[in-house]
Amino acid sequence: MIVKNNTLSALDFSWILLMIITTANAFVAETAEPSLAITALICGSIAYKGRRIMDYFMELNHANSTIQFFMRSYFHVFPALIFLSDLFAEELASLTAL
Amino acid sequence: MTITATDFNLNGSGAVTQEPETLNKIPGNRAVWVGIFAEMTEFALFFLVYFIAKAHYPEQFNQGPLELNTLAGMLNTFALISSSYFVAKALAAIRINKPDQSIKWLWRAVFCGGIYLVIKVWEYHWNVGQGIETNTNKFYTMYYYMTFNHLLHVGWASGSLLWAIHQLKVGRYTQKNHLGFTAIACYWHMVDLAWVIIFPLLYVLR
Repeated sequence: MIVKNNTLSALDFSWILLMIITTANAFVAETAEPSLAITALICGSIAYKGRRIMDYFMELNHANSTIQFFMRSYFHVFPALIFLSDLFAEELASLTAL
Repeated sequence: MTITATDFNLNGSGAVTQEPETLNKIPGNRAVWVGIFAEMTEFALFFLVYFIAKAHYPEQFNQGPLELNTLAGMLNTFALISSSYFVAKALAAIRINKPDQSIKWLWRAVFCGGIYLVIKVWEYHWNVGQGIETNTNKFYTMYYYMTFNHLLHVGWASGSLLWAIHQLKVGRYTQKNHLGFTAIACYWHMVDLAWVIIFPLLYVLR
């Protein structure tokens, strides 16, 4: 007998959540003035969306720990770099000037 | 604890992560992960170039996102997230031995990939109408370089989904043998992950 389960799975919930965060990001893009707080918020949303996709869509939650480590690190390092490159923009420009 | 394929349910409360082939193992195969890490490194280099370019041309990177079509970027994000979700559903379906259902989910994912490509091509036409071209300024050079590169990835990853559909139809991917399918799914999710960073960099952050 097939029992139809109508409850939301982690997968369904992740999809809905990711769509909501994307809409919020687009709203920020259209309305908010640039500031460090907005950058921090967006960086947080990137890290969270990445983690959600890796854990529930890619199924790295319980997968090989090396792959898990490198993939998760990527989504810690790049949001942090986005924020830091904004915070230290002038220093970065002088460091990379030819 | 032994976890079997019957422990999780499509669209149910069972966690799809509790799958024997991914539990403490490499999802898919080693080869696809070499490819995934190579692609992630490629995108990482793009992001580093973006940071440096933004530091040198702050005015262009401040104004650039305002001129882009945010709606197109948002719809493309919806398309990619949905396609990733459909691919995960397709994988969950084959695990409970429902290849027909799996094929239906994969067609939905391919459709989303197609939607992405159509929106992106339309967006490029719209950009040209607004006077936004590859050499307009440094921000738009980055924009075209990153998004066109990503578009190519969506293109060939969609091809791999079509291949998975074919393999399911001829019975080569089954409940007991679908590692190749898992590898394709991981690659597709990687394409989605890259866009998760590209979208805010180009459309949101100023």
